[in-house]
Order: sequence, then structure tokens, then C-alpha cells
Amino acid sequence: MTTKEDYAREKKVKVSVTDLTKCYDELLVLDDINFDIYDGEMLCIVGPTGCGKTTFLNTLARFIPATKGEILVDGVPSNPRCHNIAFVFQEISSVPWLSVEDNIRFGLKIKKLPADEIERRVEAMLELVGLKPFRRNFPQELSSSMEQRVVIARNFALNPDLLLMDEPYGQLDIKLRYYLEDELIRIWNELKSTVLFVTHNIEEAVYLGQRILVLSNKPAKIKEEIIVDLPRPRKFDDPAFVKIREHVTESIRWW
Amino acid sequence: MAQRPNIKIECRNVSKSFVTEQYTINVLDDISLQVEENEFLVVLGPGQSGKTTLLNCMAGIIMPDAGQILLDGKTITGPGPDRGVVFQQYALFPWKTVMDNVSFGLYIKGVEKSKRNEVAQKYIDLVGLQGFERSFPHQLSGGMKQRVGLARAWANGPEVLLMDEPFGALDAQTRYAMEKETLSIWEKDKRTVVFVTNNVEEAIYLGDRVIVLSCMPGRIKSQYPIDIPKPREYTDPRFLEMRRKISDDTELSL
Amino acid sequence: MSTAAILKKNSKLFLPVLSMSIFLSIWQVLHWIIGGEFLPSPYQVYLEAMRMFSIKIGGNSVWMHIYYSLRRVILAYLLGAATGLPLGMYMGWNRTFDKVVKPVFEVLRPIPPIAWIPIAILWFGIGEGPKIFICYVGAFVIFVLNSYTGMRYTDPLLIAAARTYGATRRQQLFNVAIPASMPSVFAGVQNALSMSWMCVLAAELVGAREGVGYLIIQGMDMYKPPMIMVGMIIIGIIGASLAVILRRFERVVCPWRRDLT
Repeated sequence: MTTKEDYAREKKVKVSVTDLTKCYDELLVLDDINFDIYDGEMLCIVGPTGCGKTTFLNTLARFIPATKGEILVDGVPSNPRCHNIAFVFQEISSVPWLSVEDNIRFGLKIKKLPADEIERRVEAMLELVGLKPFRRNFPQELSSSMEQRVVIARNFALNPDLLLMDEPYGQLDIKLRYYLEDELIRIWNELKSTVLFVTHNIEEAVYLGQRILVLSNKPAKIKEEIIVDLPRPRKFDDPAFVKIREHVTESIRWW
Repeated sequence: MAQRPNIKIECRNVSKSFVTEQYTINVLDDISLQVEENEFLVVLGPGQSGKTTLLNCMAGIIMPDAGQILLDGKTITGPGPDRGVVFQQYALFPWKTVMDNVSFGLYIKGVEKSKRNEVAQKYIDLVGLQGFERSFPHQLSGGMKQRVGLARAWANGPEVLLMDEPFGALDAQTRYAMEKETLSIWEKDKRTVVFVTNNVEEAIYLGDRVIVLSCMPGRIKSQYPIDIPKPREYTDPRFLEMRRKISDDTELSL
Repeated sequence: MSTAAILKKNSKLFLPVLSMSIFLSIWQVLHWIIGGEFLPSPYQVYLEAMRMFSIKIGGNSVWMHIYYSLRRVILAYLLGAATGLPLGMYMGWNRTFDKVVKPVFEVLRPIPPIAWIPIAILWFGIGEGPKIFICYVGAFVIFVLNSYTGMRYTDPLLIAAARTYGATRRQQLFNVAIPASMPSVFAGVQNALSMSWMCVLAAELVGAREGVGYLIIQGMDMYKPPMIMVGMIIIGIIGASLAVILRRFERVVCPWRRDLT
């Protein structure tokens, strides 16, 4: 198994989180969390139910202020104005009154990119997720898998510094889930984005992640860091895969 | 001498279509299947397949366009306490406490109060909700609500338990826990179960037999008896092999 | 303690007090701009209130007037509930009944309670009758509409669930549909009370010897704007108090909606 030193050797640190703490009045939810996210990495976060994963993501995305601690992006404190942190929610969040291509344009317009750059990216994304024939349709007219692809396209079009995903495939049926996970890997490979993927599903984490961080129960700390150096495409019935999966399951179970 | 298994519930040539102005969807197309007494049957299918419709027909909530559904050889004509249902959206009565919800079926039957509560308490304990008898559904988490749903259906003593993707709305870890619990309750209080899901792992974990449905039209694609002894391990090689086989067989509805 | 801490500790009182103070200040300023004849100052209104509560107007103390108005409202309201709720519920539950009654109801509904005043006087004379009747009409319509909606839009999943337990149609009605429609009924309960209260004033303005509406009329006849305003403020305070009482009541009857309050 690759050691952490080997893993980090060739990589540049994209996001650095130090002493991240979050309290709600008396309740300590996040306790002094320290870790780095490397450039172009697919990092998965798992933990027991109710350990504060969503709070963790919200704090990272700056939706809620942290009580203490620092988040540095490219060495500079994270700032929504100049840093691009995109967020994919659990519920499908396509904008219902915009067509597919307008949905993709949406984020780009907000970031005030030049018009020709916007068009170039929209075309590229439509091609990448295979939704070119549906560009003028509205999200409700599409199936849920297509809707999810619109959301993926919209988020990746921004070329974000960091893409945060909060269990976006939780409610979908399993074959669809495999398909979207593969799509995610494909797009991630193409664009070399940095992705942080939070999930309850241990198998999903092992399937997707290059590295997995296991959170402990409340107050949440990083319990363990596991490197997943399996070749892609990964197979759930591969003994090495199963071994890592069992390891992660054990790690979550005992705290 | 081998004993012929007793067929508890049976579908004969069941068909159901949904008709709109533009098109007709054959949700169920000539489905025939038999469920043995005390068998745990899983019906597996992707998102848009007719599996919920099939379950609703078996429950008697909707009527098939063609074909019949028989319970112990008699055609069913509507819903009834002989077939209990566990719904994906829980369908708990928000104005009733956990105890009143669980004893609902018995209350409808006219069982007197102390006996009702005794039986209900047994099932509340069985699903691990001791102490929550007087809570209301809105005070419970999703997993707990579904446990109430399970207890409510089971407590009424139905002959067949129909479960409609009951854990679909729960997160992966709670789901594993609920699957384990369902199995343990079933082992203690054996009944005929028809369980509908879109999750292959869940199907193999729970089912004695897994039926795979295709979608549009909804037909039985294949059947897989699962011979691995229970309780099963998700990472057991035989389990994974079965998963690979069935996964490759199910369709992807894009 | 810092200012922020003190403010936080008393925040529940602080905001309403602040809000009231701003309101009174704006009122005072408007008084100076518009002039005493058209808009009395808060202080003048206060003095007038003190005066009114210490004398009898038209033979009754102010408290008696309030009592008369309230009595009319509550009688009409209870009558409206007793007739409107069952009717609305049954319309919501029984499709055939609904189809028969609906057309008539849809035509009568848009007629505002006030429009019923002349015919009410014709039927009931000039006593308590027409006043109670007007309030009744207002409340009745709202009760019917809300209980109908509550019943009609009961979550079909819950009815399906009840059916799988073998509940008869009657059992479904009493055990599922009626409890499920309670939140909607309660919205109606509150609206109907506001409506009744508004109607009693309209009725009293047309012809009354007692009641808060009468006080307002007196204020107008005697050309005493402060008196009019005192009447209006009494109306506001009573209306708000009734609403609070009802909300408390709802919390008891529908505890599972506690998360919404």
C-alpha cells in the first residue's frame, strides 16, 4: 500500500485547512480539523451518521462561519470573490426556469467571465456530458440522471478551485449511481479538477477516492487517512477493493 | 418424500398500463409469479420499472387491467389486513404517537385497548424503539420512522408483508442497519415477504429469491435463487459474485 | 455586561418595544405635519382613552360595549363552526354531495357579508339578530372552505395506508381524514375569527346602541377624532388577543404541528 509520504510527494497542496473548529453555542461539532487537499485530487470524506459531515462541508464552503481555524486556497485565505468553490447539493439543484445550456451559463455569468469564454466552456461541457441534443430542453423534461449531469456540467464549467459534493447520488437507483460515478471520474480526469466528495456510502468512497478521510463521531475529528491506490476502473468484487472497504467500515464502526 | 411448497400469493398474467393522450405505458406486461409461504422474495428493478405498481396491485390499492392476484388461492378484490404494507414515505399518522401508530391495525380490528398495547409494545421492543412509545413521528429520524412503519405493519399480523423500497430514503449506513434488523425480525417472526428495491446489494442480502424486472414494458427478466446461508456478509466472495451476475443483468434507465 | 450582551438577554422584549417606539414616533411626527384636527397625537388619544374608560357612553361603560361586541362575535362564530365545519368536511369527503352543493355555494360565497346587512335587517329587525347574522355569514364561509380543502387534500397515502389495515370508509373518515384536515381547519378557525370580528364592526356601524362600533360612530357624531381612534385601537388589541388565544389552543389540539409554530 502506498504510504502517505509517497502519495504526497508529487503533489501540490491546493487547499490547506488548519485547526477548523465549529461550535453551536455549547455544542462542539467540529474539533480542530487539520488536513490538506492536493491539486487535482479526488478526496472522499466518510463518517458515521450524524457526525457533522454536512456542517463540515458548509464551513468549508463558507456558507456558515467557522468558530476558529483557517482555510487557505493556493496559500491565500479563502475568499468567495476570487476563489471558485463550487458546491453540489444532495437535492438536485438545477434551475427549473432555465434551459440546459442556460443552466450551464448561469454560474459563468455570475462570475462575470467574458462572453466568448462562456460560450466556449458551455459548448465544451455540453459535449463532455453528452447533452448537446438536449441543450434547449428544461430540466423537468429530462430524467433525473440527465438532470444530475446538467448540475455536474454547470459546476465543472466553472473550473472551480475546489468542487465540494455532498452525497449527490444518495437517492438515485444503484445502476444510475454507478453510471454517474463513472461519469464523474471521466470528467474529473479530463479537467483535472480538485474534488472533495462527502458520502455515507463506503463503497462509493472506495470506488471514487484516491484518498479517504474518516471522520469520528461528534465532536468530529479526522480519525484516519486511507490511501486508495487501486487502478481504474475499480471493481467492487476485486479482493483488494473489498479489503479496503472492510478496513474503512471497521474504522467507522469503532471510535 | 419432498413436500410441495405452499403457494401463498400468486400473480397470474397481471398487466397494467398508464394511458395519457400522447402515449400508453405498459407498466406491467403479463407478469406471472408465485411466492411460497414464508419466502422472502425480492423484486429488483431500476427506477422506472413497474415494481411499485406490482406491489400496489398485490396490496389491492390499485387493480390490474388484466390478470388476477390470488392469496391462498382466492382472488383479491381490494386492500385488507391480510396483506400489510410498509411504504417508502413511511405513511405514519402524524397526529398519533408511536404506540397509537403501531397499534392502529389492531384498533381498526376492534381489539380492546390493553391487548392492543401489549402486542404493539412487543413489536416496538422488537424494532428497538423502547422509550419512544409516546413520541410523535415528527420527533423521530428517518430510520426511526421507518422502524415504526415496520412495527405497525408487522404488529397487525398480516399473512403477507409487502415492502415498497422501505429504505430508499435513508442514508447508506442506516440502510445497512435496517436491512439487518428486518432480517432479524423476520427470522424471529417468519412470514411471507415481498420486498421491492432498486438496490442490488440489499436484494441479495435479504432475499431467498430475487426477481429482476425489466422496464417499459415491465416484464420478469430473470430469477435468481440465493443459496448463501443467512445472515450474509456483503463482502463474502459468493455474495460479490452474485452481485456481479445480477448487476450485469439489470438495465440502466437513462 | 456589554451592551450587546444586555441586548441579547432581553432580545425578546427589545425588538417589540423598539418597533412600538418607532411607530409612535412616526405617528407623532405625522400629527405635527398633518395637524391636530385630522390626526390626534398619541398623547391626546391616551388622554381620551382614560376619559372614556371612566365614564358611561350611551348608558354603558366601555367594558360593557366591548362585552356586547364580543358576545355577538362569539355566538356567531360558534354557530358558524357548528354548521360550517361539518358541511365543508362532508363536501370534501363525499363527491356526490360536493357536486350537488357546490354550485349553490360558489354563487353565494363571493357575496361579502356586508352586502347581507339590508336583508338581514329585513329578516331580523334592528336588534342583535342582523349583527349576529352578518358575523355568522362571514365565519361560515371560511369554515366551509377550509374544512373542505383540508378534507379534499388529505394525503392519499395515508388513506391508502388505512385501507391496507382494513379500515371501512367510515373508519377512514373518522380516523384519518378528519385528523389529517385539522391543520387546515385551524387555519380556517383563525381566519374566521378575524372575519367575524371585522363583520361585527360593519354591522354595528350601520345601527347599534352598544358595541365598539357604536363607540366609533359616537366619536364621529361628536366630532372627536381621538374617540374614533381609541375605538380603533380597542378593536386592534382585542383582535390580536383573540388570535393569540387561538394559537395557544391550536398548539394543544395539533401538537404534531408544533414544529411549525
